[in-house]
Amino acid sequence: MNYQQPALRRALAADYAIGLMPLTARRRFEHLLLDDPALRAELAQWQTTLATLTAPLPEHTVPDRVWHAIEARIDPQKLHIPAKRPFWNWLRITAVACSLVVAIIAGALYNRDTLNYSATLMAANQQPAISVQAYSHYLNVAPLTLPSVETGRSLELWAIPADGKPVSLGLLPAHGKGRIILSESQQKLLGAPVTLAVSLEPEGGSPTGQPTGPVLYQGALAGL
Amino acid sequence: MNGTAAQSGLPCHGLGKLHGAPLHLVWRTTISSDDADELRQLLAECTLGNRRAFENLYQRVSKRLFAVALRCMNRSDLAEEVLQESFVRIWHNASRYDGNLSAPMTWMVNITRNQAIDQLRKHREVPLTEEQADTLFDDSPSAHEQLDSQREAQALQRCLETLEGMQRTSIITAYFQGVSYADLATQLAAPLGSVKSWIRRGMERLRRCLES
Repeated sequence: MNYQQPALRRALAADYAIGLMPLTARRRFEHLLLDDPALRAELAQWQTTLATLTAPLPEHTVPDRVWHAIEARIDPQKLHIPAKRPFWNWLRITAVACSLVVAIIAGALYNRDTLNYSATLMAANQQPAISVQAYSHYLNVAPLTLPSVETGRSLELWAIPADGKPVSLGLLPAHGKGRIILSESQQKLLGAPVTLAVSLEPEGGSPTGQPTGPVLYQGALAGL
Repeated sequence: MNGTAAQSGLPCHGLGKLHGAPLHLVWRTTISSDDADELRQLLAECTLGNRRAFENLYQRVSKRLFAVALRCMNRSDLAEEVLQESFVRIWHNASRYDGNLSAPMTWMVNITRNQAIDQLRKHREVPLTEEQADTLFDDSPSAHEQLDSQREAQALQRCLETLEGMQRTSIITAYFQGVSYADLATQLAAPLGSVKSWIRRGMERLRRCLES
């Protein structure tokens, strides 16, 4: 085909702009666009004409969740935690201090639940995201740079043993920090070398018993 | 594929269902050249990584782009996904916007519409009716009255009126649904040759009219 013929160029640009070009022709046309500024201008004319079709559409209020999702996408390491009031900070410090005292006393008395393993789960960009400490009967989970999860989704923690089939350890607490109690079979599982991973799941966790969403963070569980 | 899933929920956003105030707003925000300059400036700041400019841009155009996504997807949850993806692209590709080629709004509408038809092509959930395709530019008197209030709107309406019914229907169907010529021919129950000729002649006529 002679791509220099003006009528043909105009017709091709029109087909491309409205989206009626078959896939292979589309790729070829995009290739032509790269080195042909006049063709790009021709295409832009058609796009301008067609965009006019959207002008009479009534504007629509966009739910806030869309903006939050965009923010999380373009800046995934940002923590979306509301500002805390000083009163709560004091209350929290007091509570933490009290629970520390209780924990130390309880630890000294029973000394049963010892810290066995720990893991730092990394995001895809190698930023540490979550710290996990494995005790005999439970896991302590603390977010380092965990982004907020949109409503309707949950983060689920998985142990991936050497044979590769992930076993759910439960959902991460809503704000990232908290404790996950381990069942006996889960405790046994953590005795062997495993990788921990966190996947994005529908609210309440994976409906299938296996991860269904993307794996956001992972890391190996190492003995202390 | 599920042929009815996308039909539920949202009303059609035809001109005949518009109320006066939003229409004025639409035209002011799309046509004003001052506004185009500001959007151009915001896009330029986005290329420098200015998040505040991006948020400002979002405030300015998200309602309009959401309307485009809704018109294509016919379902608000799918339209929200399209809008989210579109803005992520606008943020990452702002440096690709060429102010010499087109207005900023045209560029952003195009990104949104491309996202939408990509999704539609993947799922192909939305069987189109002629009625749906026509609702955008129906001929009810109220639509005329509202459009008459703005000069630019008149121009569009005048140009659309120069198109024959099938030219208009096939262009609007192709633009908002991203279907192929073969699909169009099936949906409009017309020979492929006729559909191609409606699209070609209709687009030429529309462009020449809008440029005149």
